[in-house]
Amino acid sequence: MDDYAIGVLTNIGLVSFLALSAYLLLIAGEMSFGQQAFFGVGAYAGGILTAMYGWPLPLAALAAMALGALAQLLVGLPTLRLRGLYFAMATLAAAEMMRILFELVHFQRAIDGEAVGPDGTQGFRGIRWVFAHGVEPIEYLAIVYALLVLALAGFLLLERSRLGATLRGVGEDPELAAALGVDVNRCKLGVAAAAGALAALGGVLFAHHNTYIEPRNFDIMLGVHSLAYALIGGLGTALGPLLGVVLDIGALEGSRVFQGYRMIVFGGLVALLLVWRPRGLLDERTVRWVKQRFS
Amino acid sequence: MGKAALFLILGFVPVLAFAQSPKADLACKATGTDYVFDCTIRLSRGGKPLEGAQVTVGADMPSMPMAHNLKPVKAQAGQAPGEYRAKLDLEMLGVWAVKLRLAGPVRDQLILHYEFDSKGATPAKR
Repeated sequence: MDDYAIGVLTNIGLVSFLALSAYLLLIAGEMSFGQQAFFGVGAYAGGILTAMYGWPLPLAALAAMALGALAQLLVGLPTLRLRGLYFAMATLAAAEMMRILFELVHFQRAIDGEAVGPDGTQGFRGIRWVFAHGVEPIEYLAIVYALLVLALAGFLLLERSRLGATLRGVGEDPELAAALGVDVNRCKLGVAAAAGALAALGGVLFAHHNTYIEPRNFDIMLGVHSLAYALIGGLGTALGPLLGVVLDIGALEGSRVFQGYRMIVFGGLVALLLVWRPRGLLDERTVRWVKQRFS
Repeated sequence: MGKAALFLILGFVPVLAFAQSPKADLACKATGTDYVFDCTIRLSRGGKPLEGAQVTVGADMPSMPMAHNLKPVKAQAGQAPGEYRAKLDLEMLGVWAVKLRLAGPVRDQLILHYEFDSKGATPAKR
């Protein structure tokens, strides 16, 4: 496999964490435009811990996931009281606030005569753990996909469980779920924390793949795309967002022939797809049909 | 693949002291074809030209790092020591984070921010 293929596959894997994070909130009935912020929290936290304090990547990833969960919980406490469009707008505002906060962070340490750490809009260079440990690109790809398979297995187990059914119930009709004795608010806060942790894990892996991060990496574009993955791929199963990522990055890479116009072509394809399948390719009806057919 | 399997074990070894990292400098000229630039990369380490490196050049737009990007190209060794040349075919003008992936005598990745315009590229003001 050449470097280009490895790079594209790694990007698909990294973005998939963000897509799954947005999907988790979607099945609980909340549309977040702000998951990129927790991706950023993970990237900064993981980068600081490995590059500035010499933490091993697995430990840094766990700490970053905890911080991502905490950050989304703190955002969720006031915003999950809102519904629909209001919640979407609140998450977008929170994400932009967090991006601006990243621009204000100047926190560096001298390591081997070099200043390492976040430097506001100048970004954060030298997140070299992967290079320092001699991890080859193909090996990093394997690590990303091993973690993604674990996350996906968790989703597939969740979808077969009573908790998964409760979550979908909360997403489809929160009043009915509350009437049946479900603590809707607690349920949504739990989902928010898990979504934050998942996005943060993607962020840590992204920072160490890229070796450099900056606040602009975590702007609205990434948030819109993460939501689009779930909507394109379908809301019927966790495989939907992954299909969305593959189609998104696949379509972008495949439309290079259009050069500067490829985003227009890509946007047109997405619009057509959503007119044809408003709940995505793998929507609930399709998933039910497949299950009936093969069970 | 073996290293990936042992990641969780080997990964718990703390590393803070990095070997002296390489430095890079970039100069690009527009070719006359839309968004295509001839670029010269100068690599050094510890003040000396870094020779014999295998350099792969990519680029990302900072606001959409995993989608708006340049298909990586391999740079060829230039005439002077530590000099490498590559042709970049960007999608549009503006600020790009140019990624230099180094292999050979040193394994590293350097990111340089340059603003590309109709004449060439200058370090981006941010």
